[in-house]
This record gives sequence, C-alpha cells and structure tokens, in this order.
Amino acid sequence: MSQGLSRQLDSDRHADDALLNVPLFHSLVERLDDDERHVILDLGPPQSGTVALFSRFRCRLDIADLAADLPAMQAASEAPSSRAVFAAMLPPDQQEPADVILCWDLLNYLDRPEMTALMAELAKRGKPGTLVHALVVYSARTMPVQPNRYAPVDDHSLQLIAKSQETQPAPRYSPEDLGLCTPGFKLERAMLLRNGMQEFLFRL
Amino acid sequence: MFERGKKQPGDGDSQSAAGGAASGASSRGTPNRRSGPREAAVIGASIHIDGDVRGEEDLVIEGEVSGTVKLINNSLTVGREGKVNADVHAQTVFVDGNVEGDLVGSERVCIRETAQVRGNITSPRVSLEDGARFKGSIEMDPAALDALLGRQKNAAKPASGPAKSGSTQSSGGQSAGKSRDLLAEAKTG
Repeated sequence: MSQGLSRQLDSDRHADDALLNVPLFHSLVERLDDDERHVILDLGPPQSGTVALFSRFRCRLDIADLAADLPAMQAASEAPSSRAVFAAMLPPDQQEPADVILCWDLLNYLDRPEMTALMAELAKRGKPGTLVHALVVYSARTMPVQPNRYAPVDDHSLQLIAKSQETQPAPRYSPEDLGLCTPGFKLERAMLLRNGMQEFLFRL
Repeated sequence: MFERGKKQPGDGDSQSAAGGAASGASSRGTPNRRSGPREAAVIGASIHIDGDVRGEEDLVIEGEVSGTVKLINNSLTVGREGKVNADVHAQTVFVDGNVEGDLVGSERVCIRETAQVRGNITSPRVSLEDGARFKGSIEMDPAALDALLGRQKNAAKPASGPAKSGSTQSSGGQSAGKSRDLLAEAKTG
C-alpha cells in the first residue's frame, strides 16, 4: 500500500471516529411528538446541527452553554449556594418545564458536589418524565481539558468536534457514582459507545 | 450621526458590514433578492446611542446602542464591531457583533459565526452559524411564534396548543410536525 493511500485511510478512519453513533440520543428524539410542544434545554454550546434537528418539532430550544462558564462555575460552586449559582447560569425557565435536557459531556468536567448541585437545579427545571441525556468517559483514562462540541448530524449520530488536544485525567464516573449525584433522577438506560464513552439516559 | 451607506444586509450576505462604518460609503454588499439593492443607514463605530431607535429604513450598527431598536418593516445588521444592549424588533436581523437583549425578527434572524448574543430569539426563520456564542432561548413553535409576533389570524391558538390547521399564513410555518416550513437553517461555519 502506498504511503499516500495509507495516510488517506488513516484520515478516513479519524473522520469515522469523529462521527458517533448514539442510540440513546436517537431513542430520545424518537420520543418527541410532532404535535406536542417541547422545551429542550441544551447545556452545551450553540450548534447549527442542534438547531436544525429540533426545528423539526414544535419546541423552544434553550441554550445554556455552561462550558463557557465552567471556570466561573467551578469557583462559585465552592460556595454553599452553588445551586443558586447554577440557577443563575441557566436561561430563565419561563415557567415552562424542560422535557429534554442535553448534557453532552459536561458531567465529566464537574466534581461530585458540583454535579449534585447542577442536577438538583435541573430537577427543579424539569417535570416527571423529563429525560436527561449525557455522555460520560468510561474506558479512557484521559479526556480533553475542555468539553468537546457535539453536533447532531441526524437524529442518531453526532459529529464530535474536539476543542482541545490537551488532555487531563478523566473521572470515569460509574453508574453508581452518577446515581448518587443525580438526586431525583432514575437511570433509564446506559450504553457503551464505540469511542469508549458511555451514553446515559436519565428520567426524572 | 447616521450616514447613508450602500451596505445591503440582504439575504445570503455572509459578510459583515464591518470596519470603517463611520465612513459609510462602502460599496461592498450584496443585492437584496426581493427588492434589489437597498441603501442602509449606518450608525458609525464612534457613535453611542442611549435611547430608542426607530425607523423606516434598513440600518447597520457599528457603534453602540442601548435602549430599544424598532425597524418593524426593515432590516437591522449589527456589524462585527457593533454593540447593542437593547431589545430588537425588525423584519430581518443579522448579527455579526455583540447583542445583549431579545431579538424579534418577523421574517428572519441570522446569528453569524463572529456574533456574541445573550438573549432570546423569536422568529420563523433562525440561522445560527457554528462558532457563534449564544446564550438564551430560540422559539421554534409556530403557535408560540404567532402569539409572540402578534399574528393571531384566523382561529388563533394558544401558545401551548397544537397548531395543526386553521391558518392561511404562508410564512412562519403554520402546520405542526416535520413537514412544516418553519426553518431553523443550519449553516456550518
């Protein structure tokens, strides 16, 4: 095999790696009813793919971009009122509970008290039946120092866009860890993805 | 204060009307597809306005505006250097710069990759380019849009109810579901 072809195949493989098949995300989108209004709370940064995907539904899309506030959040969550700090960082709920909450890989970047505070605030924003989707590093020992971006390509795959090549140790939260840090939520399903992350779906 | 420029914030213009706006006479810009080239008033980079801005012509903001901006039948472009701390209501809104406030576009709101926006967007067509910073809500429910945009024609339905039929309006998407023409366009940066 020529070196050029080898490089091309390598590049194709990386491109494939960046596209994540996400069955639980698919199942979540499948549950949205065309005829009903939904409120989607996206904790990640704005992505054109997310807007395009949910524009198919009658919905309001709230974009929180918490990753942008992560350093401030982490400083603030040392205070006992960290839940109030999280509340201030989320868009106003407009007196309409969220049906779906998209965490992407944000939970990996929170320690246990921070995650507990965030999830408690999210529980307040939800209602019985609210679904929370999250991606958690499972098998890898390291992860990028900043959360990745995940752009839905369609309703069953995400384009992973790494924001940083630098890595840091991954907390590798177990389902039991997550259960303790997500008061009020029940783990509905978990699946191991091809890239070593675990996909979680929680229900309020 | 306001200068007449030949900047056309028309559909499909992916370039900001940026830089040197105070000189106002840039010939850059693309024709407006509906009505041909249109001149736009320009608030130059050195201009600060506190108060309400209203008008009946297209406007490009390269300076700073605090208060409200109402161009009900016209287009507003916030240039790369523009800073708007105001609620905005226009026919079309293009943002390349910084906005803190709610954006209502009766036809379209376009948040470009250099934009930083904190506020809520209400419009039947929303495009948000990758790379843009945005924090807030995007209302994409036709029934809620109708209520918010004051288009309660025919048998008006509540924002929380289904919008299956009963409107003849062509823009803004009136039928619920995947086939409706409500658009939130995807543009990759």
